[in-house]
Amino acid sequence: MPRYSGELMIKVALLIGAFLLGPGLAAGQGLDPAALLRPATDTWPTYNGEYSGRRYSALDQINQGNIGSLTLAWIYRTRGAAIKSTPLEVNNILYFTAPDNVWAVDARFGRPIWHYERKSEGDHIGHRGLGMYKNWLYFTTPDAHLICLDAKDGKLRWDIVLADGKLGYFATMAPLVVRDHVIAGVSGDVTDLRGMLTSVDPDTGKVQWRWYTEPDPGQPGSETWPKDSDALLHGGGMTWMTGTYDPALNLLYWGTGNPNPVLVGEGRAGDNLYTCSIVALNPDTGKLAWYFQPSPHDVHDWDAVETPVLFDAEFQGKPRKLLAQASRNGFFFLLDRTNGEHLVTSAFIDQTWSSGVDSRGRPIAKPSATPSPDGALVEPGSDGATNWMAPSFDPQTNLFYVVARRVFSIFYRVAEGKAEGWGGRDRNLWANTTLRALDYKTGKVVWNHELGEEEGIAGILTTAGHLLFSADVSGNMLALDPATGKTLWHLNVGGEVVASPMTYEIDGRQYLIVPVQDVMYAFAVPGKT
Amino acid sequence: MIKSLGMWFAILLLAIVGSFGLSNSLAQAQAPAQDAAPPKDPAVERGRKQFGQSCGFCHGVDATGARGPDLLRSPLVAHDVKGDLIGDVMRHGRPDKGMPAIPATDDQVADIAAFLHSQIAEAMNSADVPQGYPADRLLTGNAEAGKAYFNGAGGCKNCHSPTGDLAEIANKYSPIELEAHMLYPEGKFTTVVVTLPAGDKIAGPLVHIDEFSVALRDASGEYRSFARDRVKAEIQDRLAAHRNLLDKLTQSEIHNLFAYLQSLN
Repeated sequence: MPRYSGELMIKVALLIGAFLLGPGLAAGQGLDPAALLRPATDTWPTYNGEYSGRRYSALDQINQGNIGSLTLAWIYRTRGAAIKSTPLEVNNILYFTAPDNVWAVDARFGRPIWHYERKSEGDHIGHRGLGMYKNWLYFTTPDAHLICLDAKDGKLRWDIVLADGKLGYFATMAPLVVRDHVIAGVSGDVTDLRGMLTSVDPDTGKVQWRWYTEPDPGQPGSETWPKDSDALLHGGGMTWMTGTYDPALNLLYWGTGNPNPVLVGEGRAGDNLYTCSIVALNPDTGKLAWYFQPSPHDVHDWDAVETPVLFDAEFQGKPRKLLAQASRNGFFFLLDRTNGEHLVTSAFIDQTWSSGVDSRGRPIAKPSATPSPDGALVEPGSDGATNWMAPSFDPQTNLFYVVARRVFSIFYRVAEGKAEGWGGRDRNLWANTTLRALDYKTGKVVWNHELGEEEGIAGILTTAGHLLFSADVSGNMLALDPATGKTLWHLNVGGEVVASPMTYEIDGRQYLIVPVQDVMYAFAVPGKT
Repeated sequence: MIKSLGMWFAILLLAIVGSFGLSNSLAQAQAPAQDAAPPKDPAVERGRKQFGQSCGFCHGVDATGARGPDLLRSPLVAHDVKGDLIGDVMRHGRPDKGMPAIPATDDQVADIAAFLHSQIAEAMNSADVPQGYPADRLLTGNAEAGKAYFNGAGGCKNCHSPTGDLAEIANKYSPIELEAHMLYPEGKFTTVVVTLPAGDKIAGPLVHIDEFSVALRDASGEYRSFARDRVKAEIQDRLAAHRNLLDKLTQSEIHNLFAYLQSLN
């Protein structure tokens, strides 16, 4: 055969292959959308690993039998800011973030691939991670922009404004990708802003829909704010954590932050919907399907942005589609996620602010806990009984796990006249941290594992190897028995863990990733690399 | 000679009169540590006056709104640089919204802009309780009731004395710090007694404790550490009573107790 025929055949084959795989996707690259719909094993394609937010891995190569031999596979150092993000792992590459920064690292060997940096103004308090669609990554910024990068090399594709950074908006959250929607939330309660969620086209960044935490004047929910006042459109309710999604119901579940002005409620009499709420939205239109409000008329900064964890389980003898949130205010809530029906409210840790629960399942605030000029002692403080760190639901034990804090603060209302922004502050007095396993059917504590005296912020991962991974406040990484809370393994990792563990499998080897400050640890059990 | 005496007398008189002013500020300097108020920007102060005259009747003298909107929440003001956008609005008014043109010189516009930006900066920094928070805002309780609590249900007298360790305590802390320390003091007051497998004990200030290790300084000041699964460690936390009271204290007990302590000066 003439030489050129062979070359021609190869070229034709490549052309056909490229055509079949579609534009922008070379063979073996890009996120297969099917990965978002199955348990995260060889891929961790979204912030929580999967849409449910359970942070439970089906991987069991690392298990109770061999945890004692857990060893290091590799370490990667960013030599920069602390990593609070949960990495994505797609096609053997880890993608993770810190404010202004995105890294791609070889998930097998821990070698750097590329690094993107975009300096900006705005709050650099932390960053949770990325969203991914095909071979594109989505990244939020301290000046409230949304960036799209090419995952191959970190090159910028587009940069759009999510919200006006000059007003005090910033962004830290990992966007959620649902089919062809890239959904991003915003932060910013230092000034009195309107909270919102934005969905954009993954290819162009064009806005598809916006959902506002505060309804337009006259719309349902606006009656929970004073009439004829600018309170409604400056009511807060930031959407600063990644939500969850049920593909079968096609519902997006998102938690919203506290109302503004933060500590001063007089100028915003009413429940202040939909701040401090769990909302169910249609991801194609942004329309509200239902809501539940963990903290009506909050005056303590108790964002209800904690992960709304989705699982199917039995409740009162019937199989139900459930949603659970361990909320900042110290209460555990269980809802039916098809319609928002309230099922359980129970305090998961000591609290002094609530005198009981109303007929709708909402905690009732004691007037004496309201911030005052002379100070009001409240447990928890504004930092909350829990915060953004990942909870977990383990279907093997049927337990809901949360890192919980006992925090005492004294809340001062400093503002006189019209309050703007916070209007005062609480001062932390004392705190300790514990890891609790809750029976979702009642919210009761099944086991409790103390983590030390200080406010801890490490997240949780549970696995089919019958293991629960987290960390205490002294920089000890822990592996616990998820059924009993007993410690099975620990390691002083040399710094405070301010992130959540994740795990994936490549070529038959399970890697357990734990970011510790600016160091990424990859653990595995001994075997071939 | 008389001239000199007269001069000396004048100097002395001036010194005496002057010292009254001085002694007030000295007294303040000796008072519990307070933030010195930052020097006021003259442009901001001029702008405050000017704003009050030209804009206050609609926007409120503090710019937080009246008939007209709250300017601290205005995107235009947030994007303004040294009055470029604000001046434009002042010069043309907003006829569609009922705002007339407001005559002002360039300097007046610059001052008003400085004032508005300073108000916004204050709002941006409103998540704070200033060190100099005034005592009178905290003094809502009854000192006698506080004293009774101190000697009674609070159990404070078991460790503290108003003439001993708490003598003149109000002079040692700012009011806001005193209230915080009263509830939970700062500092490490924990000791640990470690019992070794053979039964001997080592005790001293706790350096670190977690689920796996305990560390302390022994009687000779040396650092010692032990694995928790090999020894018994008994914590003696002198702040335990404070911790327990946090669960029990009512707001009025706190304010009464504070009023009592603030009277110890």
